[in-house]
Amino acid sequence: MSQVVVKTKNEVMNGTLKRVLSKFGPLIGLILLIMVLTVLSPKFLTVNNVMNIARQSSINALLAIGMLLPILTAGIDLSVGSLLALSIMMMGIVTVNMGMSPFLGILVCLAVGAGFGWLNGILLTKLRLPHPFISTLGTMNIARGIALIVTGAAPIAGFPYAIQFLGREFVGPIPVSFLLVIVVYVIFHIFLTRTQTGRYIYAIGGNPEAARLSGINVDRVLIIVYTISGLMAGLAGLVMVGRVNSAFPLAGLSYELDAIAAVIIGGASFMGGVGTVWGTLIGALIIAVLRNGLNLLNVPADFQMTVIGTVIIAAVFVDVLRQRKSKKA
Amino acid sequence: MIKKKTKLFSTAVVLTCMALLAGCGGSKGASGGGGEERVAVVLKTLSSPYWKYVEAGAKAAGKELGVDVTVVGPNAESEVMQQINMIEDQLNQSPGALVVSPSQPDTVVPVLETATVPVLLIDTDAKLKNKTSFIGTENYEAGYEGGKLLSSLLQKGDKVAIISGALGNTATDERVKGAKAALEEAGMVIVAEQPADSDKTKAMSVMENILQKNNDVKGVFAANDDMALGVLRAVEAKGLDVKVIGTDGTLEAVESILDGKLAGTIAQNPYKMGYEGVKNALAAINGEKVDKRINSGVEVITKDNAQEKLEFLKTISK
Repeated sequence: MSQVVVKTKNEVMNGTLKRVLSKFGPLIGLILLIMVLTVLSPKFLTVNNVMNIARQSSINALLAIGMLLPILTAGIDLSVGSLLALSIMMMGIVTVNMGMSPFLGILVCLAVGAGFGWLNGILLTKLRLPHPFISTLGTMNIARGIALIVTGAAPIAGFPYAIQFLGREFVGPIPVSFLLVIVVYVIFHIFLTRTQTGRYIYAIGGNPEAARLSGINVDRVLIIVYTISGLMAGLAGLVMVGRVNSAFPLAGLSYELDAIAAVIIGGASFMGGVGTVWGTLIGALIIAVLRNGLNLLNVPADFQMTVIGTVIIAAVFVDVLRQRKSKKA
Repeated sequence: MIKKKTKLFSTAVVLTCMALLAGCGGSKGASGGGGEERVAVVLKTLSSPYWKYVEAGAKAAGKELGVDVTVVGPNAESEVMQQINMIEDQLNQSPGALVVSPSQPDTVVPVLETATVPVLLIDTDAKLKNKTSFIGTENYEAGYEGGKLLSSLLQKGDKVAIISGALGNTATDERVKGAKAALEEAGMVIVAEQPADSDKTKAMSVMENILQKNNDVKGVFAANDDMALGVLRAVEAKGLDVKVIGTDGTLEAVESILDGKLAGTIAQNPYKMGYEGVKNALAAINGEKVDKRINSGVEVITKDNAQEKLEFLKTISK
């Protein structure tokens, strides 16, 4: 009799700890990181620096929330860095080179991103390419190539204020780009948790066959997923142009890696079906905080890569532990 | 069971913290200087010999003039936003002056425009209104000297190829312009002009392709030494006698010239750029007048003076 009681107590405590870790693991990590950096560097927890971090995290945060969707469906989008570049180059051609309205430019930027995202979806679902890794690897190269060709690899500078607004302005001390991130994340949260399509995304990631059999139009959902990912690449590009007032063809090179890292560190599972919007935000903040903190400590850039790699492995390791526990239970 | 899991998770967190501490342990000294004047230097990257020479020059100036010098740079020249973030983070630490070598000239203007300290640009210039000075090679001049050198080793009417750098790299583009002018003046026939991203391996394949179509190419001008050495490998593999001229003046290139392989290089003076950058930054901090444009000069390196150059580079490469 007493044996049964002990077992039950253990299971309850296991369940609670598991829930706490999986829900708050990334957040605990972020808080610990901030504490360590505050001790190590006096300039870290100043208003100026915190706002720098907020601004420095914006581009990746936008790419990451776009990347969350494909990862939730057990897929991936490797093309976001290239789509970012192509979107801003096209915007540059329309606005700076051809002198058209900045609002048309913004539209072009978002449309190019979303358009190529849609292409990613079509390649995956209609051409039945075996895995999004392949289709997005293809578009990654195609988009980068076009971005280099359109101006003969020349950068474009001198964008109108309307276009720069999102990336460069402040509301008091707070960067507009970060406010944008918050607004976007809230929208995504509502989309993923309160809409039918959002729930379908989780269902497809959890079990694609069951999703299909239960009548979900998987193809339609996947096309939406990749279109949104591409759209976010365009938006991230718009913020970048605001920060540096220029568009160059090699922009966003390898950015997909930090976006994926943010999503994974935030607790999403590569197998699909698991992951949250706020986890992704924490992941993006962890990366930005790490990079900023290491910059303040004058740690060489190469070592920063090592640290980020270690954090990714640590985060996934924790996820593996959680999954192992849930299988045992 | 609970203890095991918590322990494993804590281990993951502790490992990360240890990695952080280990990383900053070595370089904490660099950020030390409280009351002393400090010059922050942000380069295009620290992952190449050329930029290591700049770093050596900067640090030497710091030592000689008694200034605290911090030198940082992203993983690669293509990591533009990382450079912007580093500039922001350096400015946040209130240095006395900032020395920057922008990877993409236009991108640094917004962040440097608002700087309240003197800003000096080295190696690559940018349209910055409040810049204190630009110190660097007149790249057109370097390319012109390269073209002149190559022509002097060939006959009029000989076929030549030009290997340019990463697309959009204004420095290498200027060199190509200069080289073209000199080559055309001397009556050379330019049969190919291809980019190879300032990368050795890429230059090798690009050259192989060029040789496929034009196996009677007699000379090649490459916009940097890494590419020149890649071109050399492609040429040697086919057993052809082609004169290859590079630009930069790296240790590897100079050694190759001594071995009789590379025909020559137009050496920039990255060490001087770093040195003058810090020296003039200190002058600006002290309110002294600084020249708006300082030419760090080029040096034509051939077999005759390669040994001397090698000695110099070895001393600063430590």
